[in-house]
Amino acid sequence: MISEFVTLIVGFITSILSMPLVMKFMKKKGIVGIDMHKKNKPAIPEMGGVAVIIGIAASVVVASVLTSEKTRLLLSFLASTLIAGIVGAADDLKPLSARIKPFLTLFSGMPILMLCTYDPRGPIFPIIGRTRLTIVYPLLIIVALAVTSNAVNMLDPFNGTMSGSCTVITITLLISSLILGRNDGVLLSLCMLGPLLVLYLFNRYPAKVFSGDVGSLSIGAALGAISILSHLEMVAVIAFAPQIMNAFYGLSTIGRLYERRETARPVVLLNDGRLMATSDPKAPLTLARVILAHGPLYEYEVARIIIILSIISGILAIFTAYLIKVTV
Amino acid sequence: MIKRILDFVLILLFVWACMILGLWLINEIVVPLEIPWIKNRIVIAIIKLVMSSGLALLWLWLWREIIKRMFWHTLKTHKTLGKAEKQEER
Repeated sequence: MISEFVTLIVGFITSILSMPLVMKFMKKKGIVGIDMHKKNKPAIPEMGGVAVIIGIAASVVVASVLTSEKTRLLLSFLASTLIAGIVGAADDLKPLSARIKPFLTLFSGMPILMLCTYDPRGPIFPIIGRTRLTIVYPLLIIVALAVTSNAVNMLDPFNGTMSGSCTVITITLLISSLILGRNDGVLLSLCMLGPLLVLYLFNRYPAKVFSGDVGSLSIGAALGAISILSHLEMVAVIAFAPQIMNAFYGLSTIGRLYERRETARPVVLLNDGRLMATSDPKAPLTLARVILAHGPLYEYEVARIIIILSIISGILAIFTAYLIKVTV
Repeated sequence: MIKRILDFVLILLFVWACMILGLWLINEIVVPLEIPWIKNRIVIAIIKLVMSSGLALLWLWLWREIIKRMFWHTLKTHKTLGKAEKQEER
């Protein structure tokens, strides 16, 4: 248990030390994004996710030194995260098309297959128990990581929503791993938790840094990898419910893969600084738009609701983990 | 604020309960399914797969329809919408 705790601390300290440096570097290079939901439209340093990747890498290195028998598992986790991070960085520097980006994220599942760190017998469901999806499962792994990374990327519209909801998912996976006795899940969740907490501290309202696609894609892939490597697939499906809802509604209303810049904006900024759902039928039906259907809210209020929904999904996911424990 | 959260909590609970019910149906009905006039095991496996996939698609369709109807109903009944749209930033 001491090695897990050390991993958490190393990830947190490395990220908190590297984040200001990353912010300074991005500002110096002019890699900034406009905070569209503020009246004064401030320029915020982008690609803060680089500090998260640095933190995860540091904690994984320390974890592999302390638990050498898990080096292969940790390597596949880090490689999956890095591949998604590289795709995200490429998109941040030169925007990729709506089809190319999800296609490239398919490669983030490859290290898990190549290093054979997954359980080939297939996922475990509540009520059903262990399945025997030996042929389909490797294909599902590739798709799963692309889905989680892109779903997390799509739920990053407001300050602190992505970092906050992903922190909640990580804690959910950690608790579920403890319930089901999955030590790998505990270790990998703690590798993620420190850097994610740092990102939330810097990204919460009013944001000092944006994670960028480098952050959202790598975090999504890392969470997907944790759920595969520690056999928490169904727990993750429930924990990711707000992200799945958001991506699924958006895609079903537009009818194809899309980039935010290509469609009508689902949310508009009012003169008093509040956000309002648009009634434009061509705009994607995002989670934020559905929340704002009741009336305008301030950005921090919408962000808070999304994080509360993540917490509720997390509680249901933990209950699902308990059901799996009872079934198996 | 509470109304907005409550709507989603109910949807989440419904979707979660439907998922559990769907898994139970697959476990109790689809998996043990035997069709006496079909002897080929591969054909039976494909039928089971189609039935399970159909249930999953029904689950997703239900989820989408609930949200779609909830969104447009709430938007239409919200009286301040007209006023607020005038304030929309150009």
